[in-house]
Amino acid sequence: MGRLSWRLATVAEVRRETPRVVSLALEVPGWDGHLAGQHVDVRLTAEDGYQAERAYSIASAPDAARGGPGDRQGGPPEDQGGPGDRRGGPPVSRVELAVERLDDGEVSPYLAGELRKGDQLELRGPVGGYFVWEPDRGGPLLLVAGGSGVVPLMAMLRRRAAAASDVPVRLLYSARTLEDVIFREELAGLEAAGDGLTVTYALTRAQPAGWAGYARRVDAVMLEEVGWRPGERPLAYVCGPTRLVEAVAGHLVALGHDPSRVKTERFGPTGVP
Amino acid sequence: MTVDETDLRLDGNAVAGTLAEVFGFDLTVCWGGCAGCGATNQLGALLVYAHGMGTVACCPGCGQHLLRVTRGEGRWWLDLRGLAWLQLDEQARMTG
Repeated sequence: MGRLSWRLATVAEVRRETPRVVSLALEVPGWDGHLAGQHVDVRLTAEDGYQAERAYSIASAPDAARGGPGDRQGGPPEDQGGPGDRRGGPPVSRVELAVERLDDGEVSPYLAGELRKGDQLELRGPVGGYFVWEPDRGGPLLLVAGGSGVVPLMAMLRRRAAAASDVPVRLLYSARTLEDVIFREELAGLEAAGDGLTVTYALTRAQPAGWAGYARRVDAVMLEEVGWRPGERPLAYVCGPTRLVEAVAGHLVALGHDPSRVKTERFGPTGVP
Repeated sequence: MTVDETDLRLDGNAVAGTLAEVFGFDLTVCWGGCAGCGATNQLGALLVYAHGMGTVACCPGCGQHLLRVTRGEGRWWLDLRGLAWLQLDEQARMTG
């Protein structure tokens, strides 16, 4: 699972998701597929040779990268010539990241501001099999996101939808404002499918007029209201800024949830939801 | 808000690529034992501080430094004295 070597990926599409977040669709040669929740390392090299590496979660579902005739896992790639195939070269798959611009960042201002279609960047992965959910792991699922921490959780929700899984999921998503919510339309669509997903927002900084939802940071009361009871033995995935992740994981364990079923991924000082 | 050590704390997920480069395995799913308190964890669950000088991974139970990785002048330096043991799962082996 996963590859170590750095590969040159080509930007196929740049899409603005929120004022601070863009989605990057990358064409990656030789991509062997990934699991929902994994990430890639991105490496930038300055003209003087200085290199900076950062980890970015994959937002796309594994199925979105797989399945084409050009994919290794979809059968013999030779001589089939599908849209993902470049004759004579390795199979190419499309992988999507979502990158939040951090004003004092070394890498994200470039990725989320300067990068254009056709540009290339170095990438390796997928890496990290720890913070991963696949439909056969079951549920029910509690997903808690702070800011751009929703990205790997989105890969899980996309994976679940693509697999037509009916594992019940509750997503609790903390963002500064409604405009900062990434994938808002898509989440509304997934929820409207009525197959067991509920989405709850906590808007910490500003709320639209008439907002009836949560208007504070995620706390123990909120987790008790939104989440599953410990007796239902949910699998919890918590991702976002370090402070939020540690607070939420602490609350969940204090509420009686099995610590071994609470998985965390800390993004560091990214954002302040 | 000021940024302090708490904000800079990451976990094993963040250094999956670096550890894979050194060990050839996805260590985030591999299990290790703390030589200090005896806790066993998948390395993805360790607390990680990544500085310019290198990476330190600590036991989430007692804070002991389990693993230090530094790179410089064409070498990797590993300090593993905080780990009582490390299990490398064949299924976690990385390719190419």
